[in-house]
Amino acid sequence: MLIPLLQASPWALFIGRFHPVLVHLPIGFLLIAALIEIGRRTGRIAVSESTVVFVLFWSAVSATFACIAGYLLSLGGGYDEDLLGAHMWKGIGVAVFAWVAWLVKSDRIAGKVSFGKAIYLPAFAVAVLLTMTAGHDGGSLTHGDGYLTQYTPEPFRSLAGMEPMEEKTKEIKPITDVQQAVVYKDIVQPILEARCTQCHNASKKKGDLRMDELALLMKGGENGPALVAGKGAESDMIKRCLLDENDDNHMPPKGKPQLSTEQIALLSWWIDQGAPADKKVSELTVPEQVKPALASLGGGSAKGGASGAKQKESAIATLKVSPAKEADIQALRKAGLIVNTLSQDQNLLEVSAVNAPQFSDKDIALLLPVAEQVTWLKLGGTKITDPGLKEIVKLKNLTKLHLEHTGITDQGIAQIKALPHLEYLNVIDTKIGDAGLKNIAAIKGLRSVYVWQSGVTDSVVAQTARQTPGLQIVNGFSEAEVAQFLRAGDSTAATKPVATKK
Amino acid sequence: MEKLLKELQHAELHRQTRRHFLQSAGFGLGALGLGSLLGSCGSSKAGEVAANSESLAAGGIPQFAPKAKRVIYIHMAGAPSQLELFDYKPELVKYHGKDCPAEFLEGKKFAFIQGVPKMLGPQGKFAQYGQSGAWLSDYLPYLQTVADELTFLKAMHTDQFNHAPAQLLLHTGSPRLGRPSLGAWAVYGLGSENRNLPGFIVLASGGRQPDAGKSVYGSGFLPSVYQGVQCRTGGDPVLYVTDPNGMNRNIRKKTIEAINEINRQTYEEVQDPEILTRISQYEMAFRMQMSVPEVMDVAREPQFILDMYGVKAGEGSFGMNCLLARKLIENDVRFVQLFDWGWDGHGTNATDNVEGGLRSKCQISDKPIAALIKDLKMRGLLEETLVVFGAEFGRTPMQENRNGVVMPYMGRDHHLEAYTMWMAGGGVKQGYSHGETDELGYYGVKDRVHVHDLQATILHLMGFDHEKFTYPFQGRNFRLTDTEGKVVKQVIA
Repeated sequence: MLIPLLQASPWALFIGRFHPVLVHLPIGFLLIAALIEIGRRTGRIAVSESTVVFVLFWSAVSATFACIAGYLLSLGGGYDEDLLGAHMWKGIGVAVFAWVAWLVKSDRIAGKVSFGKAIYLPAFAVAVLLTMTAGHDGGSLTHGDGYLTQYTPEPFRSLAGMEPMEEKTKEIKPITDVQQAVVYKDIVQPILEARCTQCHNASKKKGDLRMDELALLMKGGENGPALVAGKGAESDMIKRCLLDENDDNHMPPKGKPQLSTEQIALLSWWIDQGAPADKKVSELTVPEQVKPALASLGGGSAKGGASGAKQKESAIATLKVSPAKEADIQALRKAGLIVNTLSQDQNLLEVSAVNAPQFSDKDIALLLPVAEQVTWLKLGGTKITDPGLKEIVKLKNLTKLHLEHTGITDQGIAQIKALPHLEYLNVIDTKIGDAGLKNIAAIKGLRSVYVWQSGVTDSVVAQTARQTPGLQIVNGFSEAEVAQFLRAGDSTAATKPVATKK
Repeated sequence: MEKLLKELQHAELHRQTRRHFLQSAGFGLGALGLGSLLGSCGSSKAGEVAANSESLAAGGIPQFAPKAKRVIYIHMAGAPSQLELFDYKPELVKYHGKDCPAEFLEGKKFAFIQGVPKMLGPQGKFAQYGQSGAWLSDYLPYLQTVADELTFLKAMHTDQFNHAPAQLLLHTGSPRLGRPSLGAWAVYGLGSENRNLPGFIVLASGGRQPDAGKSVYGSGFLPSVYQGVQCRTGGDPVLYVTDPNGMNRNIRKKTIEAINEINRQTYEEVQDPEILTRISQYEMAFRMQMSVPEVMDVAREPQFILDMYGVKAGEGSFGMNCLLARKLIENDVRFVQLFDWGWDGHGTNATDNVEGGLRSKCQISDKPIAALIKDLKMRGLLEETLVVFGAEFGRTPMQENRNGVVMPYMGRDHHLEAYTMWMAGGGVKQGYSHGETDELGYYGVKDRVHVHDLQATILHLMGFDHEKFTYPFQGRNFRLTDTEGKVVKQVIA
């Protein structure tokens, strides 16, 4: 009966797992015995010595059972040997000294051993001290080294000579630019740290596997390698995550925080890509299925600003101007322009020349009396040219400017840089070229610029977009891209749907 | 002598017919209405009237700077199934063919479902698309390409389970007739941005008008200058927009001036604001003769744009309406309303179901909708134009069993507890999903959005506080959302 118990048999592990339950009994009993003893000796409470001895007896009994269960648990393996050894001997020490303290006071022995009285208090004290240190070791085995003091606040932190607190890595931090993230360091490691390394670390190597360092992860554990580089689906660590949660081999164990579908997809993708140590997302191929998971990592500031993130409030909200003169507005309307007030609490104006295609450079003079108030200006399709842009710069509160389908060129657009609040610029179907785009990109605060059918080249658009992360440059699409778009429906067109009668 | 006077009085009374009484009463009411509408316009000279017919179209000033200057509202009349297109419910697969749980049926009324229907699993194959991971089915292969532009409202709900009242509730805020539609409110509030085009244009396809008729784009008690102007999808956009043979533009101009002069005189006499509308419509019609054929001429569009929308010049279709919507928006039309009929998938026949029938409706509409989003985006129009897609309600997770009989095709009944709509552009988040339904897609369980909330949100994006944006009528201030509606702040970028 005992022999199977001393191996890592199911019985042994079954009993062993009661160690965390049993272990708290001697801790509580010993401490209460110590408190009663102190209370009794200082005369604060009136209890007989036999009460203390009675509690001590049960401390010793429970400590003994805790030791046995603890030993059986350790057969399961996966713990740091040194720490485990210290814990075990301290635990046994607790039991031994508790028995000694009880024995020297017990009825049978008390009279026979002369030095009994002398060793009672030392044995008792040692048992209590060992309880504390063994308990701490036990905690370190379960939760990892440094768990207790990880969040020591200042000033105690520096007083104790500890390093400044590490930033919380338990949950994955949003990544500002997913494309530039290093896959292992910024994506994989945080997932492992949040879900795996609690049990697979330097001090608690479950299954003899460590996942806290890439090299050790590659090495694998007692069940062989944790991953097969290039084959995510065949890698043990992925397969285990995908097993049913009730399966014994499922990881993380049932009841512990589980990996999300996205996290598994990301780990699997990283392994598929050969588990590289220092490659960035942009250097790897990203299949369609992984994109959502990747996007969920960042605020998604990647292409097109695809995200649920809040936009920065427009400068419009902060612009306060005095009302424009009615006569000036009427003059604009007379010239065929549409003038609308933007909102009731501000006096900003929206001016559109949609009904005045003849609007030309000389007509800009009409705008100057309301230079302060105009914030949205639509001059698309008008006769405006470069000299006109020189005047438009005087409309310093412009936030939106439409210049599409006009004759403006790079020379004119260079002036626009002086507009401090410009957020939107439309120059599609103009002669703006690469030089003009670079000038445009230099406008601080500009959020979107539309350059379709202008003279800009795709490579400069891509380059400028990389250099100015806050700016969305939309270059429309070529006929090739349209052809690609048109193929989107091919997959379903192949299986032409016919209503099937049941 | 006395006898003569009495006879005269009698003759006068005789002439005072019911029609006369109503006419004068109507004039009186009209004058009252005008008084409240135009405020200071007590004594009216001809010149002032002209200015007023203009100012009718000029609109007001929004309460705050609009994020969406314009709206394209795509309404799929009949209501497509969210469970086949947007709301992925893997659990429903397991329940396919099983009896509907009793708690879904107790105290519920359906348009057609009777007794205990069977559950119906999703017919589409779903996958996640874009960086946002939006769930979409294989019914919509093109919409997938713009998934990151969309904000989904996954837990929409409404109060009405029949088409016409539900459409009215959605577009006018009330299931009964008589209220102005969303587009009319928008133009009333913001005015038109293009003098030569109506501020609110309606394009319908699918062979029929929406069930609720023209009231879904009517002006209700607002001056009728704000009602939606329906244009034809193929041929002349507006019938008789071209001058007849032998009539040149100068003669037309003189005719309209003469008619308007008579109208002005009548207005001075009776002060009916509807006459102002009539005057401005004549003026608008004259200007539209030039602008509408130009704006709605797709012949000048390059071939690859026509290919994107999948249209041929001269042929009307839903795709053509999408292209026209883009062209109208490009010319600053405030509100473009698209209706497409034929989405009512009950399963009663080969076209009216959520399998092949819905697929073929999607094949017609999916590409042009995605093309519209892309086209607006590359022209720099999407960020100032709100695109809304949806229907009057959704469809049940149960298969329809009209008259207790299993339908010949897979079909779903009208469902008001949960359905999906989406928005794009104009100040809403890109690549976002708001709200969730339960595992079977029956109820919204998180972030539900009522149609009044949707209206409040659209008005908010256009710069209006829906609680303060009112019009006095019959002694009280009316608003689109009536006494309800909450702005869904979470979807605003």
